[in-house]
Amino acid sequence: MSEEEQAYEPKIVAFLCKWCSSAGSDLAGVSRIQYPANATPITVPCSGSISPLYILSAFNKGADGVLLSGCHIGDCHYIEGNYLARRKIYLIKELLEMVGVEPDRFRMSWVSAAEGAKYAQVVKDFVADLKPLGPQNKLKADRT
Amino acid sequence: MEKILDKQRLDDWIAALTDWEAFAPAVEDGVWAFRPVVGAARLDHPNTKQPPKGFAFPQREVFFSFEQIKGEAPRLTQKLPDSKHRVVFGVRPCDARGTVRMDRVFADHVDDVYYQSRRNNMAYVGLACNKPPSAHCFCLSVGGSPVSSDGLDVLMTDLGDRYFLAAITETGKSLMTTAGDLLKMPAAADRKQAASVHAEAVAQPQRAINNPDGAPARLKASFKSPLWEELAQACIGCGICTFLCPTCHCFDINDEVTGSAPLKGNRVRTWDNCQFPDFTMHTSGHNPRPTVGARLRQRVCHKFQYFHENFGMHQCTGCGRCISDCPVGIDIVHVVNKVTEHAG
Amino acid sequence: MIDVQSIRDAARDLLAKGEVRAVIGYRRGSRGMLAEPVTITDPEQADELVWDATCFHNLALYLVEDRKALAHAQRTPNLPIAIVAKGCDARAIVVLMQEHYFKREDVYIIGVSCEGGGVLVEYKLARLLNGAQALSAVIDGAELVVTTLAGEVRLPASEVMADRCLECREPFPKEHNVVFGEDQTSRQLVAPFTALARFEALSEADRWAYWCRQFERCIRCFACRSVCPMCYCDECVVDSITFPVAPETTAEEKANRIRWIERSAVRSENITYHMTRAMHLAGRCIDCGECERVCPVNIPLRLLNNKMEREAREHFGYEPGASIGGPSLVASFRDDDPGQFIR
Repeated sequence: MSEEEQAYEPKIVAFLCKWCSSAGSDLAGVSRIQYPANATPITVPCSGSISPLYILSAFNKGADGVLLSGCHIGDCHYIEGNYLARRKIYLIKELLEMVGVEPDRFRMSWVSAAEGAKYAQVVKDFVADLKPLGPQNKLKADRT
Repeated sequence: MEKILDKQRLDDWIAALTDWEAFAPAVEDGVWAFRPVVGAARLDHPNTKQPPKGFAFPQREVFFSFEQIKGEAPRLTQKLPDSKHRVVFGVRPCDARGTVRMDRVFADHVDDVYYQSRRNNMAYVGLACNKPPSAHCFCLSVGGSPVSSDGLDVLMTDLGDRYFLAAITETGKSLMTTAGDLLKMPAAADRKQAASVHAEAVAQPQRAINNPDGAPARLKASFKSPLWEELAQACIGCGICTFLCPTCHCFDINDEVTGSAPLKGNRVRTWDNCQFPDFTMHTSGHNPRPTVGARLRQRVCHKFQYFHENFGMHQCTGCGRCISDCPVGIDIVHVVNKVTEHAG
Repeated sequence: MIDVQSIRDAARDLLAKGEVRAVIGYRRGSRGMLAEPVTITDPEQADELVWDATCFHNLALYLVEDRKALAHAQRTPNLPIAIVAKGCDARAIVVLMQEHYFKREDVYIIGVSCEGGGVLVEYKLARLLNGAQALSAVIDGAELVVTTLAGEVRLPASEVMADRCLECREPFPKEHNVVFGEDQTSRQLVAPFTALARFEALSEADRWAYWCRQFERCIRCFACRSVCPMCYCDECVVDSITFPVAPETTAEEKANRIRWIERSAVRSENITYHMTRAMHLAGRCIDCGECERVCPVNIPLRLLNNKMEREAREHFGYEPGASIGGPSLVASFRDDDPGQFIR
């Protein structure tokens, strides 16, 4: 990796469901697990509540990567929310790829409140996968 | 100043205009548009999908940027357009007359520095219409003509293997002078042919507004006519007619915030559209033009009555785009004829 | 071949007998051979109705407009409204009923089959006629019968038809009160999603370059949204200019309204608008193709919606506009929905 590439720190916007993934990210913190600080967390009530606009808006505002994380299937606090997320996010992921956005920029995970280590690993993997892609400028707004 | 230009030498002329950024019609995915000249320029277009109004009046114009500095008043930095000279080839007479109308709006009663600074750096080289480019042309009805030079700097006429050039303004003369000996003196036969091409062009059949001179008064008398709702019945409230029009110029101004701490952004003007349902929506919730009929009436009367009252000329130049591109066939010629026929 | 008189008679009867309050159909407009939408309320007007290969419009849009006008006037209709509907239009009506926009008994569907044909594309016809002007164009079986000044010309319909018709899976309005024309659903002219498959064969870089070019041309005229029957939101969420206010809207609501994209018609804002619209139509778009037809700058919008439709069919077993009682795509799920992409 060139010096420039090494210096580049991708900005990740992470939509985390309050009941599982957000709690999981808290557990990673409380457990003092070291992982890259590239993800800005946004807590949402449920992964099923995530509108495609949140994802597109994050990219529009310059996010290099967008992560969605929710409860494991069967464990959703609202019973069915994550089933709906699974369907909707599949569609937006396909649409993003079809338009030509690199598939590695958008990902989804199931992280429970007990999976602090998993959350840290998800972010670590995401940062590693984003670095070679460089800054995202396909969907980013040119605010000049 | 009148000259002859061999068609093969058009690209040489454009290349000689080193102080100018040149644009000409080009087709991409079936859509004709004015694009920067790359390689060979062509002038075999019908008319471009969009008129050249976007050169002096772009869809997006940044007025100024603002930045909140701690403890100080917000800093405003004006963003004037660049001073590049731009020349557009292949402008049809209807669109050139449209430019004249835009000029009246942005220079007569107001001093719009953004429009004017762009406009003052524009040159329009027109191409006369030997045949109507569209099945819906009606320039003759609204005081125009397929060979009008109003609003142009140079008028080109296609004589088959060469163009007949006429300089209309000082800028046009200087554009032609830059061509040097690429341009030849016209022979008597050239002038004769140009005149006959023009006469034939004007004789081509077109659609027609039946009573253009009577339109302002008759439209004024028809404000309450039930015909407006009837004629607008199929309107879907999109923005095609207005955005494609050479003379429509309504705009919106918004702040595009780019940072919140410190607060910064740009104040931006964008095109707006009286056919959008909430164009006249008030903050109270009241909308004085709540129906498609009211909005159609607004657009048609602006073109054929209000503008006439303010500036002494019809705003519509008969390009026909709103007719050919309306998704549901709303036809301004039909509308004006029907309403004025039943006026009073 | 469908005799247009039967459509006219049906409309006249319904109005004369007071069974419907209006009929939404097509009539000849002022632009040569092109049809235009019309709503008639008088039985005498029934003779204006036409049916031919220029009946492009999805008239279900006008059912939505009618419903909105009634809501605004706070009126409940005492009679249903009738509508002339092609296969695609009828599926749009089903989606609207599925979403409880109106009830089945509120609409009387005068179904018309496209049989072996469909709607034409003007530039394809112009090319085949070599400059001759068409005065009318009617579908007859698998042929298009065109009348020009020089006489009648028969062309294979498939050479002038819109892509959306060539790929159409169901050129027959399954949901109807009365229907004219034969059900030739088995006629499949071109495999569904052919245009989409061709596009998807491009590399990621080529796909992106392609959409860049398209979205840079977009002028945000919103014709695509305005013509779509399923885009019925008073306030379009992605475009906050259409924030409807009422006397009771508070100052705070007005000040805090979210602006997802700017009004500037630049690539980034245009892409967000179109992708959001495609997502909001997932499972609801029935591919009438009107969005693509009306776009003044020829953006191939069907590709985005077809992508959603094909994914819905292949992975969720979902067919838009299939049944009035069916669930919506994004408010339902199956245990075997794909999830391998989730870490």
